Amino acid sequence: MNHEIQYFRPNTLKEAASFFSDNPFAYPIAGGTDILVKWKNGGLPQLSHFVDVRKIVPSMIVKENGKVIIGAGCAMNVLALDPFIAGNFPALSSAAWSVGSFQIRNMATIGGNVANASPAGDTIPALLALDANVILGNSAGTRKIPILEFFSGPGKTVLKRGDLIEGFEVKNCQTKGAFLKLGTRASNAISKVSLALSIFESKLGSSEFRIALGAVASTVIRCKKAETILGESSAPFSNEVLNEAMVAVQEISKPIDDIRSAKVYRKKMAGVLLKRALIALRLVSSSVD
Amino acid sequence: MKKNQLVVQFKLNGRMVSSEVSPTMTMLDLLREKFFLTATKEGCGKGECGACTILLNGLPVNSCLQLAAALSPEDEVTSLEGLVFDPLLKKIQNSFVQEGAVQCGFCTPGMLVSSYAVLKSKKNPSDQDIKEGLAGNICRCTGYMKIMSAVKKAATEE
Repeated sequence: MNHEIQYFRPNTLKEAASFFSDNPFAYPIAGGTDILVKWKNGGLPQLSHFVDVRKIVPSMIVKENGKVIIGAGCAMNVLALDPFIAGNFPALSSAAWSVGSFQIRNMATIGGNVANASPAGDTIPALLALDANVILGNSAGTRKIPILEFFSGPGKTVLKRGDLIEGFEVKNCQTKGAFLKLGTRASNAISKVSLALSIFESKLGSSEFRIALGAVASTVIRCKKAETILGESSAPFSNEVLNEAMVAVQEISKPIDDIRSAKVYRKKMAGVLLKRALIALRLVSSSVD
Repeated sequence: MKKNQLVVQFKLNGRMVSSEVSPTMTMLDLLREKFFLTATKEGCGKGECGACTILLNGLPVNSCLQLAAALSPEDEVTSLEGLVFDPLLKKIQNSFVQEGAVQCGFCTPGMLVSSYAVLKSKKNPSDQDIKEGLAGNICRCTGYMKIMSAVKKAATEE
């Protein structure tokens, strides 16, 4: 690094927003577990400022007007160990618990995980599977966008200069769900493929499925075809229904070969993760193998 | 004061301290280079190995990924040195020695801090609790079995 990098801690969101507009190479930092590694690896050659947003973005989990709002600054361990989240949004709870290591989870925030926009980011499929909205703030105010529309490519989002992620909004209801991932090790390994499944049950007894996949495309993706297949059948699912849903998940997966894994393996395992998630939730018999 | 330096104030091992830091200095470098607290080690520098584990407000974190500039007077930093008179740490250290959980010793300070955090939060941790608590600490010598049994031993001993 030939130029000196500065540290700035704004006191308000407005101050942060105008600072970002004035400094095109200022980057927000919260937990720092992604951005500092990227910077140490030489990945941010033009970086001018670390803008510490930890104290200006909310970090609480609040329930209001039928919604649950998770502050962007909520640390992974706080999220994972929250009994309300574990009871109502198990896919999100276990995705947060699967991140990095105990130390990383004390630092890393859900907002940072989403802002980093990795196709393998662990909380992202869980948020997709909960139909979450991203709450964005800038100097003009706040706005919400569905998380499905938030990512535009690997590491790319629709965030504009001056926008900050303030939190995530999900419907306050009880869901069943699971999050599964494959990595080289259980801890501190970027996922080769991941899958989040959430089930919203209506009072009439029908179930709506949400299935999202990580690390099999340029962004985290949803598999609406498999959701419909499962939603229109009744559990426990027959082998035919299970196979159809697995094929749908494999077909929508367009993974790449990279240092972590191979295309064919990822594609196949995307389907296997769906099966494992359904077995874990006792929606198919474990004898289907 | 040199250009571009910041002054940070925080509680370090029980007493309020202040120091000049550069904007990108990590907590790890601050501890080692300004306070000469060298128990905390740099292994990977990228949050993978856990040799740099310290407690920030009671929770284990990777000090190599914590900017020193982000600290404020409400923050309490505890390095391994800050735990030396703590009976729980003494117990863990003894069981590490008795179980042969130390070989080259480089990972040991981080292992001790993480083990301390596990036993501080749970009196009778399960094997799974210990594994999850130490999953961010890499040891290239022992193969982990002896570390596991040392932490279990420390948990059961009075």
